[in-house]
Amino acid sequence: MDLSNFFSIMRGEIVLAAIILILLLAEIATKDKKKIVDLAIGLFLIHTIFGFFGVGEGVLFGGMFKASPIVNLFKNILNVGVLIILFQSASWVKGKLEEHNRVSEFYILLFASLLGMYYMISAGDFLMFYIGIEMASLPVAGLAAFDIYQKRSAEAALKYIFLAAITSGISLLGISFLYSASGTIFFDELKPFMTNDSLITLGFLFFLVGLLFKISIVPFHLWTADVYEGAPIGVTSYLSVISKGAAAFILIIILFTMAKPIMELWREVIYMLSILTMFIGNIFALRQKNMKRFLAFSSIAQAGFIILGMLSGTQLGMSAVVFFIATYIFSNLGAFGVVYAIANQSGKENMDDYNGFYRTNPLLSVLMMLALFSLAGIPPVAGFFGKFFLFMSAASAGYYWLILFAVINVTISLYYYLLVVRAMFVRQNDNPIPAFKSDVYMKIGLILPAIGIFVLGLYSPIYEHINELVGMFLK
Amino acid sequence: MGAQIMFYILATVIVVFSFLAVTSRKVMRATVYLLFVLLATAGLYFIIDYNFMAGIQLIVYAGGIVALIVFAVMLTEKIGDKIESPSNMQMILAGLISIAGAGVTISVLLGHDFKQSTQNIGQNVATIGENLLNYGKDGYVLPFEVVSILLLASMIAAIVVAKRKFEN
Amino acid sequence: MIQGIGVTDFFIISTLMFFIGVYGFITRKNLITILIAIELILNAVAINFVIINKYLYPEGLHGQIFSIFIIAVAAAEVAIAIAIVIDFYRTNKSVNVDESEMMKY
Repeated sequence: MDLSNFFSIMRGEIVLAAIILILLLAEIATKDKKKIVDLAIGLFLIHTIFGFFGVGEGVLFGGMFKASPIVNLFKNILNVGVLIILFQSASWVKGKLEEHNRVSEFYILLFASLLGMYYMISAGDFLMFYIGIEMASLPVAGLAAFDIYQKRSAEAALKYIFLAAITSGISLLGISFLYSASGTIFFDELKPFMTNDSLITLGFLFFLVGLLFKISIVPFHLWTADVYEGAPIGVTSYLSVISKGAAAFILIIILFTMAKPIMELWREVIYMLSILTMFIGNIFALRQKNMKRFLAFSSIAQAGFIILGMLSGTQLGMSAVVFFIATYIFSNLGAFGVVYAIANQSGKENMDDYNGFYRTNPLLSVLMMLALFSLAGIPPVAGFFGKFFLFMSAASAGYYWLILFAVINVTISLYYYLLVVRAMFVRQNDNPIPAFKSDVYMKIGLILPAIGIFVLGLYSPIYEHINELVGMFLK
Repeated sequence: MGAQIMFYILATVIVVFSFLAVTSRKVMRATVYLLFVLLATAGLYFIIDYNFMAGIQLIVYAGGIVALIVFAVMLTEKIGDKIESPSNMQMILAGLISIAGAGVTISVLLGHDFKQSTQNIGQNVATIGENLLNYGKDGYVLPFEVVSILLLASMIAAIVVAKRKFEN
Repeated sequence: MIQGIGVTDFFIISTLMFFIGVYGFITRKNLITILIAIELILNAVAINFVIINKYLYPEGLHGQIFSIFIIAVAAAEVAIAIAIVIDFYRTNKSVNVDESEMMKY
């Protein structure tokens, strides 16, 4: 193995691990813990920017680690998402300093989880996949319990770690069956063994459970609302955006490469799950009053749209899904950012509290409206094109009834997103949330998603770039 | 013949004590039953000549994890506390799910034609060590290093959650 | 190799253990006993990997190494889970699921 090769292919992972170590040392060395916030954000900003340049492609460690341009691009998308979360959560972390006396731990756990996702999406075998997915979820359980004096924070963490453990157990049972039938744990070597044999089928279905749990597909969605509500908001947005996006990405890689020979089988499964997920997510989102729960169920419905794009099994489908995840990351982070800013200032999280919000804080209201329109898929913002490409790919495979059903669901979702907009713009309130100013980090954290929503919606070369990279990957 | 009898004894121990571990109404007893299951698993590894695996099983599982659980029990339970038993409805539902799952899985496994290897290769600890530090094909140094970061992160997570300021 | 004992016999034991664990996970209300059920599940999977390695593909080491990593990750998982359980106990003075409003699923 050539060493220069190694550094160019695995640079992102090595740098992120180095950042974790630097933060550990900084925790020991500094007295003024607030500086650690700036240090962590600065280091990660540099890491994000350099991630766009010159990361190599290739295979390392006998096929365990694979880097291709589309995987690198996806890591960059995740980086931008995490960067936005860092900006949005900075004032919260500083505020918790007095109470908890822990700052660097928040960043170390967040970065360790992100590192796990890197390894998960570039895994070439089940072992790295398993370690990656565990590394992505275990630190998040610690983060969900970060608010240690809050009862519901510990509950959220417990629920998350227990359900993550049992679903990864079921997933492992599936992997062991695939291994027993083929004798290998590498995705590439396994591909010729993927037939309609009952052991392979059962193993593969068990294996999918772990990933479907992470994307919160119905019937593995039951943790979502409670965990999202109980965890600190920064962690909630991380779970709903980054964790879900990474899991959806590795799912599509596995379905389109390793499991390509049994496409007929997983198509039926994904078809049913997509219908169920869209429908149940939407129905429950209609009844929510708490904004975090509301966004949780709306994100379940969005997950249904994500897997809808996978049905075609073609290049078109994969590019549509990657593009949709990118738009989803920006839109959802925009919405979460506004909820975050409001909760930081006033502690209010309910939809009724938002009545009359436009009178006092017009800019935040407009951003929230923009993000919700993007989630709902109203042109010309990014979300519209995301959904449009998804439906195009499903139409190319002939799923017209499913598209009709999905369009009905888009209409339902439009209704409940408009409920929030109505509360902010139309409804009167005697004592609305007073006007407030956020600090500079929060402002950047709110401007970035807004830019992202517009750029992805209006600048079409991005989609073509994704499409080109996906074409190279699937060849 | 002796090994065969051993196998049946261990198999019985595993199944019976697994069941007791999830139905016992005292937490400490359930923990001890779990310990028996883990020890019997180590026994299985011994009779198929995988001594290194058996050692790991004993040290990490039986020695480490059970000790952790015992600490947790001692910190949270009072002596004589009984867990309330689940409702009948829940037991029937869970029983049906488990029996259906086990039935499907076992019937699929029995239906599959496994080609058993005729070689009887025991375990060579040196080979495992070499493979864990090898970076070529069939080398495992990458997961070995990554899992070290995972352990570091989970240690930090455990400290973050469990550590509190002294309260008066 | 044991005379007269094939790979399926081991599979039956590990599958039974796995689904007993699933049963425990669903019915148990005490957090520590839920953890015990999860340990049973992970241990059953580890047995599977070792047995497949021994009986079906003894030339490679995939199965053994995989189960070593499963054991390592399980240890990390238990450490975090117990930390959270103790944190939960401090605020609730109980480790039963019912006594919080947490609906189990």
